[in-house]
Amino acid sequence: MSERGLSLPAALSGHVVQNALPVAVAVIIAIFALTEPAFLSTDNLVGIARQVAIIGIMAVCMTFVIMTGGVDLSVGPVLALAGLAAFYSLDAGFPLPVVILAGLSVGAVVGLANGLIVAFLQLPPIIVTLAMLSMVRGTALIVGGPEQHLIRNEPGYSFIGTGSMMGLPVSVYIFAAVAVFMILVQRRTPLGLLVAAIGDNERAARLSGHRTRLTKTLVYVICGLGAALAGIIQSSQVHTALATYGPFGTELDVIAAVVLGGTSIMGGNGSIARTLLGVFFLGILNNGMNILNVPIDIQLIAKGAIIVAALAIAARRG
Amino acid sequence: MRSASAALALFFAATILLFSLSAPRFASASTVENLMSGFSFVAILAMGQAFPILVRGIDLSIGAIVGLVGMIVFDLSLILHVPGYLILPLALFAGALAGALNGVLVVHLRLQPFIATLATLAAYRGLTYAISGRQLVPGLTTTPIRDPWLTGIETYFDVGRWLGLSRLVNMPWVPLSFVIMLAVFAVLQVLLTSTRFGRDIYATGGNHEAARLAGIRVNGVIITAYALAGLCAAIAALIMVARFTTATEALGAGMELTAIAAAVIGGVSLAGGVGAMFGPALGAFLLGAILIGLTLQGVPQFVQQIITGAILLAAVGYDRLLSVRRQRRLSAPSTAAT
Amino acid sequence: MTTGGPPLLRGTGLAKIYGNLVALDDTDFSVDPGEVRALIGSNGAGKSTLIKILTGAVMPTRGSVEISGEIAPLGDPSEMIRRGVACIYQHSNLAPAMSALDNIYLGRQPTRRFGFVDTRRQRLKAEELLAHHGIDIDLDARVGTLPTVKQKEVEILKALALDARVILMDEPTGWLAGADVVRLHDTIRMLKARGVGIVYISHVLDEIFAVCDTVTIMRDGRVVAESAVAEIDRPRLVHLMVGEKLARESADAALHQRRPRGTGAVRLSARGLGKSGVFADVSFDLHAGEIFCLTGLIGSRRTELVRTLFGSDRFDSGMLEIDGRRVAPRTPLDGMSLGIGFVPEDRHREGLMLDMNVTENLAMATLGRHCRGPFLSRSGMVRAGRKAIEDLSVQPRDGSKVVRLLSGGNQQKVLVGKWLSRSPRILILDEPTVGVDVGAKAEIYAILRREREQGAAILIVSSDLEEVMTVADRIGVMVSGRLAAVHDAGTAAMADIVREIGGGSA
Repeated sequence: MSERGLSLPAALSGHVVQNALPVAVAVIIAIFALTEPAFLSTDNLVGIARQVAIIGIMAVCMTFVIMTGGVDLSVGPVLALAGLAAFYSLDAGFPLPVVILAGLSVGAVVGLANGLIVAFLQLPPIIVTLAMLSMVRGTALIVGGPEQHLIRNEPGYSFIGTGSMMGLPVSVYIFAAVAVFMILVQRRTPLGLLVAAIGDNERAARLSGHRTRLTKTLVYVICGLGAALAGIIQSSQVHTALATYGPFGTELDVIAAVVLGGTSIMGGNGSIARTLLGVFFLGILNNGMNILNVPIDIQLIAKGAIIVAALAIAARRG
Repeated sequence: MRSASAALALFFAATILLFSLSAPRFASASTVENLMSGFSFVAILAMGQAFPILVRGIDLSIGAIVGLVGMIVFDLSLILHVPGYLILPLALFAGALAGALNGVLVVHLRLQPFIATLATLAAYRGLTYAISGRQLVPGLTTTPIRDPWLTGIETYFDVGRWLGLSRLVNMPWVPLSFVIMLAVFAVLQVLLTSTRFGRDIYATGGNHEAARLAGIRVNGVIITAYALAGLCAAIAALIMVARFTTATEALGAGMELTAIAAAVIGGVSLAGGVGAMFGPALGAFLLGAILIGLTLQGVPQFVQQIITGAILLAAVGYDRLLSVRRQRRLSAPSTAAT
Repeated sequence: MTTGGPPLLRGTGLAKIYGNLVALDDTDFSVDPGEVRALIGSNGAGKSTLIKILTGAVMPTRGSVEISGEIAPLGDPSEMIRRGVACIYQHSNLAPAMSALDNIYLGRQPTRRFGFVDTRRQRLKAEELLAHHGIDIDLDARVGTLPTVKQKEVEILKALALDARVILMDEPTGWLAGADVVRLHDTIRMLKARGVGIVYISHVLDEIFAVCDTVTIMRDGRVVAESAVAEIDRPRLVHLMVGEKLARESADAALHQRRPRGTGAVRLSARGLGKSGVFADVSFDLHAGEIFCLTGLIGSRRTELVRTLFGSDRFDSGMLEIDGRRVAPRTPLDGMSLGIGFVPEDRHREGLMLDMNVTENLAMATLGRHCRGPFLSRSGMVRAGRKAIEDLSVQPRDGSKVVRLLSGGNQQKVLVGKWLSRSPRILILDEPTVGVDVGAKAEIYAILRREREQGAAILIVSSDLEEVMTVADRIGVMVSGRLAAVHDAGTAAMADIVREIGGGSA
C-alpha cells in the first residue's frame, strides 16, 4: 500500500519482485511489437482493451474475495445466467435500467449465497463456490436451454457492448469506471482497509470489533455483481445469451489476473490497481500469441506455467 | 469412522429403496449394470482424490490428468503402434508422474494446493491439446483403438450364469471396470490401514507438525499422496478410453467436481487426517444411483447438475458439523472437574 | 549420579536469534545418564527454544549438539529421534483422529515386510509398556476423544516407547492433577534407574525438589546458574530465577505506591462466573485505578476467563456487572461498547495484522473515528498514528513500517496502543510481555502505570512472576479453572504465591 522500508538487500530483492510485473508487461509489449508491427496499431490496442474488459471487470471485483483469503469459482456460470436474465427481461419488454438490474441481481443473489455460506457456516470457499458453479450452470441451462438466444433490435442494450464514444468502446468505459470505483473503495474507505485486515488476520480483526462475517459476505456479493456485469456486457457484445457462456476455465483466467497482480492467495496483501496490470499482462499475452498464431494448446500451457512461476516468486517472498 | 461408513451405507440403501419404489424400471438388472459400468471409474477417481484431501490438500487437476493420459494412450496406440501391454504401464506411470508434479508444486514451491492444481489443470489440458493425435493426424479421428489389451478392459462377465442364478432372476453382467475398482479399493485400503505409509498419511493430515517432529518425511508423504491421485486418474482414463475406443481432448473434463463430492460424501474430512477408501467408493455409487434414479424419473440432466452441487454443499456442511462437534468434545472434558 | 565418560546430551554455544529478538544466547547445557535435570526460568527465558533445538524442531543460529560425545546433525527431528532423544512438548503433538496405539508409535510403527504395520507386535509392545508403567489407556480410542489428562499420558508413552536415552519434558504436569503428577514422578524415577537422562521443565518448584537431581536456571536467554538440587534452597532458587532485578523492581514499584482497589470505585464485578467444563465459580472485583494480575499455571484457564469478560467467548453461569450494570457481552463489539479493551495472548495469531503497517494497525480499533462520510481519512489516521508512536515511543518512529519487521517489544507496544487510542475504561491484557525484551517490558509497564493513574481499571493475565510482582496492585491465583486466592501485592509473600500456583495451598 505505502512505501515499506527494508534493509538494503531485502529492499532490492523486494523491489525486483514488486516491479516484476510492470517490467514483464513492458518486455512482452516490446517482444510483440518487434516481431509483429501490427501489434502496436491503434486498432489492435483498442482491441486489447475491449477484449480484457470482461475478464478485467471480474478480476477487479474478485480481488477483494481473494484478499480475504477466499476464492470464487462460480463466476463463469454467473456471467451466463446474468446474460440470460437480461435477455428474458428484454424479451418481456422491460425498460433498459430494469433489464440491467435484473442481470445484476443474478450476481447479487449468487454472491450473497456464496458469502453467507462461507462467512457464517464457515465452509471452505473453494468447495462452496465449486458447488455453486455446478448449481448456477444447471440453473442457467434450465432457464435458457442449450440454444442461443439472439438479442436483436435492442439498440439501447447493444450499445453497452458494441457502442463507442470518442473512438473507444463503451465496454472499456464501463471497465474503467468499475476499476476507478473499486480503487477508490480500496484506498479511500474503511472497507478497503478491513478487507486487507481480514485476510491478514481475521481473528484479530474480529477482536478489534469489526463485523468480519458481514464484510466477507459483502465481498462475495461484489464479486457476483462484477461477474453479472461482465455477463451483461458479453451478451450485448455478441448479441446473444447462452447458458454455456463463461466456460470452465473462465474463473482460472480471472484468478490468474488477480494473483499475477500480486494479491496473495493466502489473503491479506493485495491491490486492485495491480490486478489491472495482471489483467493487461494476460490480455496482451493472449493478443500477442494470437497475432503470432501460437496454437491454443501452447497458450494454455504457457498460462499455467506463468501462474505457477508468479506464485512461486510470491511464496518465496513470504 | 466405522459408524460414519455404516450411516453412509444405510443412506445408500435408503436411496436405492426410495428410487426402487418411485422410479420406473429402477429396480432392474440394467440399472445395476449401468451403475457398475458408469460409476466404477468415478469411484476410482474418488478414492484417488481422497489421498490429497487426507493430507489437507486437494487435487483439481485429476480431470485434466484423465484427459492427458487418455490422449497419451491414443497416440501410443494409433500413431506409434506401441503394443497394449506396454501402453498400460506407460499410462499409469504418466498419471502418477503428473500427480507427483502437483505434489512437488505444493511441497517445494509452497503453493496452495487448489491454486497449484488449478494451474496444472490448465497446463495438463493444454498439453493434451498439444499432443492430440486427432489434430496431428486428422485421419485418425474416426479410427477406433483396437488393441485387445486396451479394449479388453471393456469386458463384461455373465456372473449370473456362472453362479446359475440367471435361471432364477435377471442378473446384471459385471463389467471388468467394476472388478478393477474392487482391486484398487482392496490395494489402497490395505495400503492406508495396514502399512506404515498409511499411518504416515493419517499423521501428516491429522497434525502436520507432530508428524514432522515424529521424524516422518512429510514432504515425501504429501508428494506420494498426489502421485496416487494421479495414478487413480490414469486407471480411470484407461477404463474410459476402453469404453469409447478413442480419446478426445475433453476426456474427463469436470470429473474433479464429482470426485471431490464423492470423497467428501464418503467422510473424507477436508480438515485432513480422517477418512478411508470405503466411503469415497460408496459415495461415488451413491451419486451414481441418485443421477440414474433421477434420469429414470424424467428429471432433466440440468437439474441433476444442481442436485450434484447441492449434495456437495450438504456433504461439506455435514463434514463441518462433525469437526465442530469433534472440537467441542476435545475441549470440554478437561480440567475444572475437581 | 554422574558417571564417567561424555555426557549423554550436550549442547555447546547454542544461540537462536529471531530477527531482533535473541531467544537464546550462547548457552551450554548437558545431561548425564541417570540424571534428572530441572530447567527453570520465567517465560521468555529461553527454555522452550533450548528444548526445541535439542529435539531438532528448531535450527539454532549457532552452536552444536553432541550425543554421547558424537556430533549430531541439527534441525532434523528424525535424526534426533534416531539417536534416542524424545520430547514431551507443552502443546499437544498428537494426531487427534488416530488411535492411541498409533499415536504412541507415530512415524515408527513396527513393520513386517513391504512396510506392513505389525499390529500384533505393536499392540503387544504397547500393552507391555502400559503394564510396566501402570498406565491405563484404551489403546483403540481415538486420541481426540480422550480427556486431556489421558492425552498427556499418550504423549508420555510415545516418548517411553522410543526407548529414549534422553527425554525432554516441557511442563509435563501442566494439565495433570495431583495423583497423576505423583505417578509421573514414579515413572521418572524408574527411567532414571535405567540410566535415562531427563530434562524437566516446570514452574512448580515442589516438583523440582521432589524429583530432580540438578537444576539449571535460565534468565533472558542465558544460563544464570547451575546447581545440585540438594545444595540449593527454595528462596535462593526463586531469587536466581527472577533475578536481582526483582528486588530493585519491587522497590521501584513500592515507590510507585501499590494501590490495591485503586480509587475504590468498582468497574467490573464478577460473581460466580462459570463456563461448563472450563472454569467455575469465579468471583472478583476490578477497581478503577488498579492493576489486578491473574497468575497461575498454563492451562489454569485464565485466558478462557478473561475472554468471556470481553465477549470473544461467552460464560454460561454467574453474573457480570460493569459500572454497576449487569451485562453479558456476546461479541468483541459488545465488549468494546462497554469500554473494554483486550490485548490477546498471542499477538501474531490474534492481535496484529503483521503485513499491514504501524499506522493501520494502530487505527484498527478506531476506524469509525477516522471516517468522513463514507470515506476514510488517511491523513487523520497518520496524524493519530504519529501521536501514538510518540506516546509509546515505538521504534522506529515510522508509521509506514510493516509491523512484521518490528521487534517483539515494539509490536506489543503497537498492539497496546491500538486499544489505548480508544481510552478504554477497562483494559485486559493477556500475557502482555511474552517474547518482549527487558527494555520494552519496562516501557510497557510504565505505559500501564500511566493508564492506571488516569483511572483505568487494568486486568493482566501473566505467568511471569517477576512481572506480577513488579506491576500488580493485587494478585489473583487461578488453579484448574478456579480463583484460588487473591492477595494485596504489597503484603503477599512470593513463596506463598509460588506454592498456591502449584495447587499446594489449602
